[in-house]
Amino acid sequence: MARRWWTLPLFLVSALAPSFSLAGPAFENTAIVRTIELGGSLVHVSTTYAVKALEPGQTTYQIALSKVERAKTSWLEAKVKGQTTPLKLSEDESSAEYLLSISLPKALAVNGTLNLVLETMQTHVTHPFPEQAAQNEPQLLKYETDLFTISPYTTLVQRTKIKSIAPNVISYTTPHDVDSFVRDGSVTRSGGTITYGPYHDIQTDTDFVAKHQQSVSVHYSFDYPVIEVETLRRTAEISHWGSNLNIEDKAHLHNAGPTLKGHFSRLEYQSQNFQRKQAPHILSDFTLHLPPGVTNAYFYDQNGNVSTSHLRTAPSIAKGSKAVQYSVLQLRPRYPVLGGWNYSYTIGFDTPLQDSVSYDAKNGVYMVGVPVLTPIPGTVVNDAEVKIILPEGATNVEFVSPFPEISNSMSTHISYLDTVGRPAVTFTYKDLTYKHTGIIYVSYQVPLSAHLKKALSVSAAFFSLFAFTFMARRVNLNLHKK
Amino acid sequence: MDNYEAIQALHNSLPPFSPYVPASLLPSIALILLASTFTLAFYFSTLPKDTFPLRETAVASLASVLGGFGVVALFCSAGVNV
Repeated sequence: MARRWWTLPLFLVSALAPSFSLAGPAFENTAIVRTIELGGSLVHVSTTYAVKALEPGQTTYQIALSKVERAKTSWLEAKVKGQTTPLKLSEDESSAEYLLSISLPKALAVNGTLNLVLETMQTHVTHPFPEQAAQNEPQLLKYETDLFTISPYTTLVQRTKIKSIAPNVISYTTPHDVDSFVRDGSVTRSGGTITYGPYHDIQTDTDFVAKHQQSVSVHYSFDYPVIEVETLRRTAEISHWGSNLNIEDKAHLHNAGPTLKGHFSRLEYQSQNFQRKQAPHILSDFTLHLPPGVTNAYFYDQNGNVSTSHLRTAPSIAKGSKAVQYSVLQLRPRYPVLGGWNYSYTIGFDTPLQDSVSYDAKNGVYMVGVPVLTPIPGTVVNDAEVKIILPEGATNVEFVSPFPEISNSMSTHISYLDTVGRPAVTFTYKDLTYKHTGIIYVSYQVPLSAHLKKALSVSAAFFSLFAFTFMARRVNLNLHKK
Repeated sequence: MDNYEAIQALHNSLPPFSPYVPASLLPSIALILLASTFTLAFYFSTLPKDTFPLRETAVASLASVLGGFGVVALFCSAGVNV
């Protein structure tokens, strides 16, 4: 054991330190501005922290998120304001909140300042209010959030701006009991932007949170349909003989806007279309941006092929280069999807294999990059599963996902002209948004013998036919001896 | 995430996949191979019945191998992409 008598008590005290929500006065927030951009199923929150170091040599800054807020957040990224590379973050959970520890790009000296931006994407945070709307009524949503942005450090001034795309905000709550922090009004509104603040000299420890933290809600109008993809099953099949990567998405769409009050009137729908004033909660079509070089696209649902689609292809680009132009697929579901309605469909397309697969000739290793999802703009995918089917006989399979997955597994998929089946890697995710369009990389090896096995298994079938004929010719079926 | 970035850079720098047979030639190859399989099968049916079936086995093996590759090429050119 160590020499000094105070080592053990010091060790015990330092073991208790993570349970304190105050990290000690290592930093001070000169200003926090939280901007909330309201959407339908997605809400984009961007919080800027203007920090000042109070102690020398600080390399980690901590951001606190309440448990409720962390549960709503499906994507987080921290950056220095003005730069594009994200900073490394690690999460800790304490009894009251989540703490994100951000590694600063370089250590800050005493009184050194830095602007950090935390961008998050919240899903399933708005709900339609009123819950029912007739076909010609507007779509009104409600969003709730905490009034104060919590932080382990003292904040000199903070404000929260809630921005709605449409300028007509129906109502917003006025905070109570905040007179000790305000100098001017506690909330102001200008068009579609509501500003709560500025609030001065805030220290959000547990007493403050218990006494002053309150939730504020905004009731606003939203002019686009609120769509959730309840389940998405993506299958990517690799064919070395056909030099082709086929990607197929089976999706179940749900319109999470206000449910339809009354019955659907086709007459009303057609007259709205004719006057070009369609109700905001009706989804009649949407656009997908597919990779360049797409061929053989198909769109069908349970009833059969859906012909109301239009594909404009973009020329194929080399592997790894940034796409300048995407193929545009405009889809119109078989029927307009009103509030509370569902629509299930399957779309698929082929892309040349050389755009996605690389080959390392020295080690004989192939590597494929498959995008996790093709986002429908403004939607959240509740439950996604991506299955990558490798050629038959693939071995040494290794894979990496761009962001942590819920689970991954390997299985065998049996398809045309297979003898033993093809290995498949399956990833499951939840709450995906347009920020989650990363690429999954899978590396595998396929020997030439596995490629030939496919053709030779068909040859064996042909040969068995010839063998049968060989024996059949030698069997005499004459009834009478000649 | 450094690992992911390294893998991504590796994937972008390696040469792209090139098939053994270019995809644009597959329909023609399918036609040629299956036509020869058909012809050889017909020829097989005209061969005499010997005690040592050397010729019959040779013709049957050649026809099946060509037929195997022809069927794979046919599937790929029809869009099934095995």
